Amino acid sequence: MIITNNLTKKYGRQIALDHLNLNVKEGEIYCLLGANGAGKTTTINLLLGFIEPTSGSAFVNQLDVQQNLRATKQFLAYIPENLMLYPSLTAVENLDYFSGIAGKKLSTSVLKDFLEEAGLQTDAFEKRISTFSKGMRQKVGIAIALAKEAKVLLLDEPTSGLDPKASNEFSLLLQKLRTKGVATLMATHDLFRAKEVASHIGIMKDGQLKQQFVADDISLSKLEQVYLNTMDYNELTV
Amino acid sequence: MIAKTFLKETKQLLRDGRVRIAMIMVFSLLGIAVWISTRQYQNVNEQYAMAKTAERAIWDSQGEKNPHSAAHYGTYAFKPKYPLSLIDQGVDKYAGTSIFLEAHNRNEAQFSAAADQTGLARFGDLTPDFILLFIIPLLIILLGYNSFTKEREMGTLTLLKSQGISSFKWIWGKWLALITPIFSITFVLFLIAGLVLSNLKDFGVFNWNTIIVMFLVYIVFYAVFINIVLVISARAKKSGISLVLGLGVWIVACLLAPKMATNIAQVKHPYPTAQEFAEAVQEDKDKGLDGHNPWNEEAQELERAVLAEYGVDSLSQLPFNFDGYIMQKGEEHQAEVYFKHYNYLKKQYGKQTQVYQTLAVLSPFLPTRFLSMSLANTDYGTHWHFNDAAEKYRIATQKFLNDHFAESTEYGDWGWKADASYWKELPQFDYDPPTLASTLSQNTSNVALLGGWFVLSFGLLFLTVKIK
Repeated sequence: MIITNNLTKKYGRQIALDHLNLNVKEGEIYCLLGANGAGKTTTINLLLGFIEPTSGSAFVNQLDVQQNLRATKQFLAYIPENLMLYPSLTAVENLDYFSGIAGKKLSTSVLKDFLEEAGLQTDAFEKRISTFSKGMRQKVGIAIALAKEAKVLLLDEPTSGLDPKASNEFSLLLQKLRTKGVATLMATHDLFRAKEVASHIGIMKDGQLKQQFVADDISLSKLEQVYLNTMDYNELTV
Repeated sequence: MIAKTFLKETKQLLRDGRVRIAMIMVFSLLGIAVWISTRQYQNVNEQYAMAKTAERAIWDSQGEKNPHSAAHYGTYAFKPKYPLSLIDQGVDKYAGTSIFLEAHNRNEAQFSAAADQTGLARFGDLTPDFILLFIIPLLIILLGYNSFTKEREMGTLTLLKSQGISSFKWIWGKWLALITPIFSITFVLFLIAGLVLSNLKDFGVFNWNTIIVMFLVYIVFYAVFINIVLVISARAKKSGISLVLGLGVWIVACLLAPKMATNIAQVKHPYPTAQEFAEAVQEDKDKGLDGHNPWNEEAQELERAVLAEYGVDSLSQLPFNFDGYIMQKGEEHQAEVYFKHYNYLKKQYGKQTQVYQTLAVLSPFLPTRFLSMSLANTDYGTHWHFNDAAEKYRIATQKFLNDHFAESTEYGDWGWKADASYWKELPQFDYDPPTLASTLSQNTSNVALLGGWFVLSFGLLFLTVKIK
């Protein structure tokens, strides 16, 4: 569902992404781990078509992103680290607007069903987003993805700043989407969360994919060790 | 997507307290302005009707009198206040409301409303045209300055892009959300004005077509302003910068450009001063026939020509009174002199108008202002039109009087008096303002300029605002 072939992005002499090859299939959750500047967000921006690759190509649902900018977005849903919605509109109104942009005409009751499925409390449906916590906004983001019936979910540090309960709820939602066949690519710093939700894990450094695993094949402690080794942090560990 | 964006933007606008307050203020100002203008319009029209009737009664009841005495006694041509002056007062306030019509002289309109006002008039009047031309563009800036910048600042642009939004439909949605409240305010104003005017006594010149055309002119002006504000909002990095740039455009378009246009036009094509004009007219008058002076060269020449034409030796043998005849010829000469000099003023006015039209490329305000005044019959063009009609009536009146004197008396019979009932035979001065069709045909360049702004600003909006 998500394929990148030698995907490369350079800013002048600076290499942000270096020949990345990825393949995320239906029902898979691929977590990209790495420090800041490793190339995780660049990968997501390239898949979204927000920036053009220097070389290589990215495919979403078998469509070349650069050649099908509008078309590929039909299959994509994106939740950034800090999902911003319209503060003066309610959760239902935001969902209605964003799904409307994606070409979905949904009744209010269906919109509410999606919000409920995303785990938002029913008494928050008609409240303005300005009163929402980050976790609640992320749930609306998931509802937008559900309403869009996205085949591909791109997440950029989605649990950053969430309290453990909200973070756990978010993980459960991702698992639910996985059972629906959604292919998810999630950039994160959170090793624990990655191990918990991912089917596959990749470790990036300096724009390169250094390691990748099937999540079930590696324990959390081993993952941590490999991560630190990859980041050259092992000398700091005790 | 257009409808969704329109609804979303409208909800956001209506839930913004600043916008609500601004809209209420503009509505209130418009209500007050329409009420004040209606009262003023009614008062002036009542005064006009009373003055016209009273002046005619004075003319009719002169009693037995020599026609030439009646010519010097004179009468007044009163300029009516036109219905759409309720919306745009134009130059009416400064142009004078009545012209004294007498023998030998073409007088300027006098008794302007501005002359009767105190120094407080310098602060300007609260009129609908002030709100339509200055305040509503400001409201557009307030409503639209952050239309695009807020998406970047709030962070919603990223999500919009990821949802695959179409630039074209997104812009249309935002555009419609901005034009709708502006259209509503303007529509309500014109509807109220139309209903008020159609229920007032207005000398039969009000028609809905003109008010609809005027409404459309303003809507096109606002559409242009909305396009400019949206382009700025899309190009500016921050809302603050967009607001300042928007206000800058407003200052240039609505304040600077008109002032510049007026000053440049006046410097390039100045009108003569009143004194220069009077001296030039007098000089030309003196060169020709003087109906009151039988000894001047032209009078002598005319006398010889008339005697020869009728084959008689003396003026008393003529079948008419030569005194009346020569006075009429003198009037005709003076009318030609006035025609020549007023024509020069009109040419200068035409050249000044060309300067305004050239500078209209800097501002859509200028063609809108000229079209609005023209449709309201409160521009200089209509004032000239009224002046010309009054002059035509003055010339006809002099002929009516001189011919009666010439045909009813014999040479030298200055003591003769016309019957007291004769004055009623003079037709009343009834002035018909330019029709809508002639107003539009005289304003084709303004229509083209505003249309050009409309097309270009839309082109700019859709070509420069892109979302990837």
